[in-house]
Amino acid sequence: MVAGIALMLVPAAHAQTLTFTVTQTSISFADADPDTTPSISAANVTVNYRVQNNASGSWRITIISSTNLTSGGASIPITDVTWTATPAPPFQAGTMSTTVQQTMASGTGNVSTSQTGTVVFKLANGWNHNVGTYSATFTFTLSAP
Amino acid sequence: MRRLLALIVSIVLVAAAPLLRAATKTDTLTVSATVAARAKLTLSSASMAFPDSDPDTVPSIPASGGALTITTKARTTIGSTVTLVVRASTDLQSGLDTIPVNLLTWTASGSGFVAGTMNKTTAQSVGSWVSSGQWSGTQSYALANAWTYSTGTYTTTLTYTLTAP
Repeated sequence: MVAGIALMLVPAAHAQTLTFTVTQTSISFADADPDTTPSISAANVTVNYRVQNNASGSWRITIISSTNLTSGGASIPITDVTWTATPAPPFQAGTMSTTVQQTMASGTGNVSTSQTGTVVFKLANGWNHNVGTYSATFTFTLSAP
Repeated sequence: MRRLLALIVSIVLVAAAPLLRAATKTDTLTVSATVAARAKLTLSSASMAFPDSDPDTVPSIPASGGALTITTKARTTIGSTVTLVVRASTDLQSGLDTIPVNLLTWTASGSGFVAGTMNKTTAQSVGSWVSSGQWSGTQSYALANAWTYSTGTYTTTLTYTLTAP
C-alpha cells in the first residue's frame, strides 16, 4: 500500500521531444582590410527549434567551438568571434569559447510550434592575423531540461 | 519495515530516473575565415627639407620638419619577415651640382626600426618584423654639412617599399 502511494506521486516519465536544426552547414568570413572593416560579418545562420513534453522544465540552446580558428600553425583566438541573435529573448548575444558551452537561447516550458532564430557571427578583424584559410567547427546543442 | 522503506526509495528512484535524463539535439556548423596578404605604409610627411646652415657651427643639419613618423601594417604568413626599405632615386641634385646622397643618414626609434645611410643603388633597410602586425616608429634624418657644397636648391626622391611576402 505504501509502495503504491509512492509510485503514484511520481509523474509518468515522458522524455522531452526536441527538434533542432541549423539550416546552414557552413559560413565564411571574407578577407577584409582591418582599417576599414574592423568587424567582419558572416552570412545569417538560421536555427529552427521545437520543445515538447517539457511543460515545466527549462530548455537551452548552447554553442561551443571545437578549436580556435586554425590554419596550419597559425590560429585566431575563437574569442574573436562573437554573435548577435534575434529574437531576443529567447536569443542572446555572446562570445565563442572552446572550453565552455555558451548560452545562445533559453526558456522554459514547451515551444509548441517550430520557432526560428537568426544568428549573425562576427569576426574581429586585426592586422595581427596571419595569412591563411582558417577553419573551426561550431556545435549547437538544444537541451532540456 | 526497513527493507520495505528501502524498496519504496528504490522504486521511486527508478521511476523518476527518466525525468532526470536530459534530452539533447545537436547540429554543427563549419566556419572558415580567409586572411590574404596585404601591406599598408603611412608616412607623416611627403617631403622634408634641410635648411642652409654654417658648416662650422652645424656640421650635421637635421631635417627642419623634425622626425618622420612611419606606420607600417602588414599581413603575411606566420614566421615570414616583413621588410621596409628606402632608396634614393639620385644624389641630391641642383642643376649640374650634386651632393652625394650617402651624406644623408638617419637614426630611428620604434620596435624593429633601424638607423642607416641613404643609397641610390641599393635599397636600405628601415625596419623588419616577423609575422603579421602593425608597427610605428620614427626616422630622424640629418645631412652632413660642408663648405664644399655649391649654392643651390638640391632635391632627390626617396622611395619606401614595404613588403609582406
